[in-house]
Amino acid sequence: MTETLASPASTDQLPQRRVLANGIVVLVKPNPTADIIAARLFMRGGSGWETAEDAGLTNLLAALLTRGTEKFSSLEIAEQVESVGAGLGTDSATDYMLLSLKTVSADFASLLKLAGEILRSPSFPESELELERKLILQNIRSQREQPMAIAFESLRQLMYGDHPYALPGLGTEESVAKLDQAQLRAYHQRHFRPDNLVISIAGRIDIDEAIAHIESVFGDWVAPSEPLAQLTLPAVSTQPSRIQQEQPTHQAILMLGYLGATVSDPGYASMKVINAYLGNGMSSRLFVELREKQGLAYEVSTFYPTRLEVAPFGAYMGTSPENAAKALKGLHYEVKRLCDAPLSDEEVEATRKKMLGQYLLGKQTNAQVAQVYGWYETLGLGLDFDDAFQAQLEQVNAADIQETAAKYLQKPFVSLVGPQEVLTELESVELA
Amino acid sequence: MLNGPELPEAIRLDNGLTVIHKALPTPVITVDVWLPAGAIVEPEGCDGVAHFLEHLIFKGTERLAPGDFDQLVEAGGGLTNAGTSYDYVHYYCCAAEGQLPQLLAGLAELLLAASIPDHEFERERQVVLEEIRQYEDDPDTVALAALWAAVYGKHPYGRPILGSVESLEAQSSESMRQFHRSHYRPEQMTLVIAGEIGRDRALELAEQCFGEGRSVPKVMAAQAGDAVAIAPSAKPKPPLVSTELGGIHRHAIKLPTVEQPRLMLAWPGPGIDQAETAVGLELLTVILCGGRLARLVQDLREQQRWVQDIDCDYSLLREGGLFTLTAWLDEENLERVEDRIRHHLRELASQPISGRELERAQRLLNNDFAFSLETSEQWADLLGYHQVVATLPLALAYPQQVLQWTPDALQALAQRYLSPEHYTAMVLLPEGKD
Repeated sequence: MTETLASPASTDQLPQRRVLANGIVVLVKPNPTADIIAARLFMRGGSGWETAEDAGLTNLLAALLTRGTEKFSSLEIAEQVESVGAGLGTDSATDYMLLSLKTVSADFASLLKLAGEILRSPSFPESELELERKLILQNIRSQREQPMAIAFESLRQLMYGDHPYALPGLGTEESVAKLDQAQLRAYHQRHFRPDNLVISIAGRIDIDEAIAHIESVFGDWVAPSEPLAQLTLPAVSTQPSRIQQEQPTHQAILMLGYLGATVSDPGYASMKVINAYLGNGMSSRLFVELREKQGLAYEVSTFYPTRLEVAPFGAYMGTSPENAAKALKGLHYEVKRLCDAPLSDEEVEATRKKMLGQYLLGKQTNAQVAQVYGWYETLGLGLDFDDAFQAQLEQVNAADIQETAAKYLQKPFVSLVGPQEVLTELESVELA
Repeated sequence: MLNGPELPEAIRLDNGLTVIHKALPTPVITVDVWLPAGAIVEPEGCDGVAHFLEHLIFKGTERLAPGDFDQLVEAGGGLTNAGTSYDYVHYYCCAAEGQLPQLLAGLAELLLAASIPDHEFERERQVVLEEIRQYEDDPDTVALAALWAAVYGKHPYGRPILGSVESLEAQSSESMRQFHRSHYRPEQMTLVIAGEIGRDRALELAEQCFGEGRSVPKVMAAQAGDAVAIAPSAKPKPPLVSTELGGIHRHAIKLPTVEQPRLMLAWPGPGIDQAETAVGLELLTVILCGGRLARLVQDLREQQRWVQDIDCDYSLLREGGLFTLTAWLDEENLERVEDRIRHHLRELASQPISGRELERAQRLLNNDFAFSLETSEQWADLLGYHQVVATLPLALAYPQQVLQWTPDALQALAQRYLSPEHYTAMVLLPEGKD
């Protein structure tokens, strides 16, 4: 029952949390079931700190971390990871940079040691920098093969304007061409420090064992005396507008975007309900109305990621050219409808239960557990964020939802991709 | 790893349904029904029917309106989905224990008593046509489908699983109902129940929901003519791969949206009856492309810097497998990359790999295996697949099979299957740019 589903977020099952003397936050969720350990090392920072000139710097840095340190070459690092069949990867996001580890328990200590070397003493070798630059530039071009990616990229730029959230995580061809070692070193110097690090672990390990390993690798890392840099982002000051891009595709991609509530906004929980109600699963409103009842799409959904800053809310679908006008009107109608009329209590309740169930479904693997709690900690949301959010969710009613919709979902930013004839036809579709 | 998890037994109920129960300490329970009714059983000219039926199953029965089941699952906090491949189709739900009786009864009802209403049939066909259009806009999917078609020709493995506009337009709601009656009987089904639930309770639920006395409408009896129209054995299948063809078979496709050309090379290999050989070929995929130290990655991406990426895969199907190499590269590098790949294949065939290289590949595959058995959904997937496509004991034999390979045996395997002189090559290029 749903009661059972909600329980894993209760406090007795939260990971244990310790803060080391140098400021590192350690989270451990023991799970003896299998002989494996997953770890996520979050370094705060991320592409939110970038400008148009250095867009892609965090991504490049993440890629280069495993390509050379003071002690090891790229090949030696690969040797240490691959010889034991482990996984070690790096990634960058808007608000942080991530190092992920998965190992069998016996190899964990040695892989953590390597992770320490990678985070603390990367050397950014010139030759590796040139290779990664080339690979990233190719990757940027490859993105243009995916109509959904093209539509999303443009939508984000429209919505965020001069704000760093507008920048593509990979960077642009212009910015990536110019990134250099000095910028990488400065970025590392500024963000990579123990009091900016969260280490989240799940698997066959207990907290004392984990702390002992972490102390031996990171214990002598001293936080610099200057305070951590604080990021102040400009306000988002864009107005809804529309972009159309011609592509010789079989489907037209229709995407509506709205500037949504931040995680600390009172409308946050309502907006999460709206997202789940409209776009989450086969019982969701868009799926039922546009796919099941009208056959207009295979993929139709929404997104609303949790962000400290203004978060994007989007609704999108792919549809055949001859249905594009009807589909665009239908997609917009379903969002607009939430501003104009309240949901029924049954709809709110069913959506709430769907969301509660998904919290359990989203924390099944060790990697998922390490990721979710590490991310809560990194964003400063607190480990009990699930509980707090569920309490918020209990309070949300149909009137709150309509009020939130009316506040955020009035007029969309619109991003369309498809053949020229379709775009011409869609120009006359007014979404007021 | 070797004294790893225990293999559950397959239990046959009176009505023919096979049940596999796997006890796991996971609060999320998965029920997963597997059927051998994938694309391989489609009659000629009916490409895509197995996948289309997978969509239509969710359109309800006499007692369940379309969408009722989705609502039941999701409003209770669970999820449901399905997948169609060449050798199988499966339908699953993940949910908490308390929700199970309702969900399993609903799932059984859908599978055994699908009504496929005419108007739902028409509308859902539009959805599948949208799915086809979406895949046509993905260059990797298009190239892979073309490669499989080139290798397998008229054998069902050469068909698109989604079918085509023509093959789907040729269907009627009645032909779909007929396909359903022929292939969705309890004796053709395997139900896996995995998670924190006792064996007796699991079997009791299976009996209640799928058994003779189930409280839902009776299974529709097969009608005269069904078997003849549908049975794949009515006509011998074309050979998997034409054996008289030697040499290098070259194909090229051009798409307007391609930014980065691909080079794909493919070699046919053994099917599930030689699972151990397939594991050997999987080890070779790791030797060639599994990680930065792997031979092709090290040479072509790290040293020469001729490719953006290179990947290798062994797709194992019941009747045969396909060893595929894919490189993402600029057009001017096509020829020399293919030459280097052939050079590396010659090397694999002429000298044994080092013990170190072998051990690395073995550890990687066995660690991946351990990491793929964390959730009840993953377990249900592993057990259901093996029961329906292979044999159940094979499900857990994998780590042991990985360890059995030696450098000499892998060298012989490369000689036998990965000829540098005989393969199919597919190039994907931008349209109008050469």
